[in-house]
Amino acid sequence: MNAVNDRSRDIGPFIPGTDDDILICRCEEITKGEIRKAVHDGMWTMTEIRRYLRTGMGLCQGQTCAKLVKAIVAKELGISPAELEPATSRVPMRPIEMRIFANELADKKEDGQDGK
Amino acid sequence: MKRYDLIIVGAGPSGLCAAIEAAKRGLNTVVFDENEKPGGQLFKQIHKFFGSKEHRAKVRGFVIGRQLLDEADRAGVKVVLNATVIGLYQDKEIVVKIGDGIEHYKGDAIIIATGAAENMVTFPGWTLPGVIGAGAAQTMMNLHGVLPGKKVLMLGSGNVGLVVSFQLMQCGCEVTALVDAAPRVGGYGVHAAKIARTGVPFYLSHTIVRAEGEECVTGVVIAEIDSHFQFIPGTEKHFDVDTICLAVGLSPMSQLLKMAGCKMEDNPKRGGQVPVCDEYGRTSLPGVFVAGDVSGIEEASSAMIEGKMAGIAAAEYLGYIEEEELKKELVSLEDALNGLRQGMFAPENRGKRIETTEEGIAVSENLLEHGFITEEEIERFPGITHKAGIHPVMECTQNIPCNPCQDACPKGCISIGDKITSLPVVVDGSQCINCGMCVASCSGQAIFLVEEDCGDGTALVTLPYEFLPLPEDGTKGKGLGRNGEPVCDAQVVSVKNNLAYDKTPLLTIKVPKEYAMKARFFKAL
Amino acid sequence: MAERIKEHPILGIPEKGTLVKFTFDGKEMEGFEGEPIAAALKAAGVMVHRYTKKEHKPRGIFCAIGRCTDCVMIVNGVPNVRTCITPLKEGIVVQTQYGVSAEPFKQ
Repeated sequence: MNAVNDRSRDIGPFIPGTDDDILICRCEEITKGEIRKAVHDGMWTMTEIRRYLRTGMGLCQGQTCAKLVKAIVAKELGISPAELEPATSRVPMRPIEMRIFANELADKKEDGQDGK
Repeated sequence: MKRYDLIIVGAGPSGLCAAIEAAKRGLNTVVFDENEKPGGQLFKQIHKFFGSKEHRAKVRGFVIGRQLLDEADRAGVKVVLNATVIGLYQDKEIVVKIGDGIEHYKGDAIIIATGAAENMVTFPGWTLPGVIGAGAAQTMMNLHGVLPGKKVLMLGSGNVGLVVSFQLMQCGCEVTALVDAAPRVGGYGVHAAKIARTGVPFYLSHTIVRAEGEECVTGVVIAEIDSHFQFIPGTEKHFDVDTICLAVGLSPMSQLLKMAGCKMEDNPKRGGQVPVCDEYGRTSLPGVFVAGDVSGIEEASSAMIEGKMAGIAAAEYLGYIEEEELKKELVSLEDALNGLRQGMFAPENRGKRIETTEEGIAVSENLLEHGFITEEEIERFPGITHKAGIHPVMECTQNIPCNPCQDACPKGCISIGDKITSLPVVVDGSQCINCGMCVASCSGQAIFLVEEDCGDGTALVTLPYEFLPLPEDGTKGKGLGRNGEPVCDAQVVSVKNNLAYDKTPLLTIKVPKEYAMKARFFKAL
Repeated sequence: MAERIKEHPILGIPEKGTLVKFTFDGKEMEGFEGEPIAAALKAAGVMVHRYTKKEHKPRGIFCAIGRCTDCVMIVNGVPNVRTCITPLKEGIVVQTQYGVSAEPFKQ
């Protein structure tokens, strides 16, 4: 069984570390300690961590922190980062304003508008 | 929705090469790039590239960028800029943000050439203004003409860290120290050597303890680490710097492929999450190809070849060429790519410790641990010979795929042979005419012309000098050793800067003859 | 802090457009039209682009290619503008961003 799915595994208690206050997710301002704690709260997948803490959900969409978060979670679970599935990739890949996201240029042209 | 035969995402070296090959074969091709300008990272690369002629060796990156754009233009490739591909669906439909709106496109084939993103490391203070990525430094100095800082500490001794450190010095910044947690320099020794001889100290097995400053960086503390990456107490060193530059590796930007449902794998040798693909960039999804760093971190030179392969493979997939033509074309490209993937820095050797060269010579431990070769070590390499009169001294000590020096000498003094990674040797009985072409063409700036004994107690050393201000004839100063320490008095006796040198001016300095094999850089008084 | 490169050994003298005026937190500044706002600010020695929402910590240029979003500021009243990839234009109003607002935090 995949180590991430094996919820019967005991990963031990959360032990505070000296560098727990280091910021990992720059956008949402989430620290290493918060991420480590989340693993002990039962958040074992990258997607769970992301939904629980909002790491990688800020403006940059995890461009900077994804790999850092993955390494921390893997270490806490005692597995290799390669065993952790990355969080889901979905549209839009880059931060985008809703007014732009909803502005289908082709529709506007067909309607006879100029797309503005 | 608009349809194209081929949609390429990313107008960097691999994307442009793919587009050129596909368009030449008749495919209606469009390239989308989210940036304001095409070329990817090529326009930030101002050093001469390694490789051989077919890899555009000894041409500077930004010049290659211009050449590719011209070729793309002539081939009829359409490049759409400020166009961010925000989604890729399994049936090869893409969604692109262009200006203030969204457009949909359908490609019969798609090549993803999105490149890579920089890795980061964390330490207290890493979010302070003044802590920047190495790419940011390159962007500011080489694209926008703005100094990234005045005093810079570089973290990372891979090729990016080394190349960017040199570029920082070229634009007038002081590089205070080059630091890496690894025990040995990760990049090419020649890149390290050209920094070390200017006097930049290397701190291997060291890393950043903290960045100092309230509103922005005002200093940094580093310390030595043990083999378990734990700080060794009492080894802390403080530097006053205004900038900390991070060059700690790259990761493929492969999210679009994952989104589309490509089979992915986590492959540390390729730099992280990459699509499973064959050697021509075919992914698990028919008609979806990849090229360049997105499928595994390498150099721009290999990205260009991968791009060509993917472009030709896409042409075959869509029936524009026959399978025989595809096979024929791929054979020569494969040879070119294999040429680049040889030697000590080949992808298969990543993480391995190599103790001897292909020639069986022990590698320089000092080069790996301190960035420079010692006088004792240098003599064992085949590029170092001693004879009367002027002759080339090639301080090239690692097997890297590069051979411009052998083509540069009009007198055939330098030989590398058929194997592109072999160390250069001086050809027996050849006569150097002091033209300087080898010095200027060496992408690693590792060749010197030396006249060991001028008969009056002095020696002449000709060295590459890509800095400003360029010293004038007669300038007095110090000859610096390979470690950047002043070793002797030196005087500039000639400055040559002709067109054929391609902006690598050559300084000839006169030094006492005992220092002919010791002085390797010049510092004006 | 920083300054412009006057002459580069490989790239020569940087080619820049027209000099234009803009304001940063009400202060008049100059930069070259079309260069990123962040480049003009950096050349003028501005390091801090914003203060974060939660911890009120300073941030500035980090990636310089529009990925990390650390350099966002308020430009012509619009927050979260990535200044490293937004071209400078005559007369634009650039403000330090506090959280997502131009109003400094109350202590």
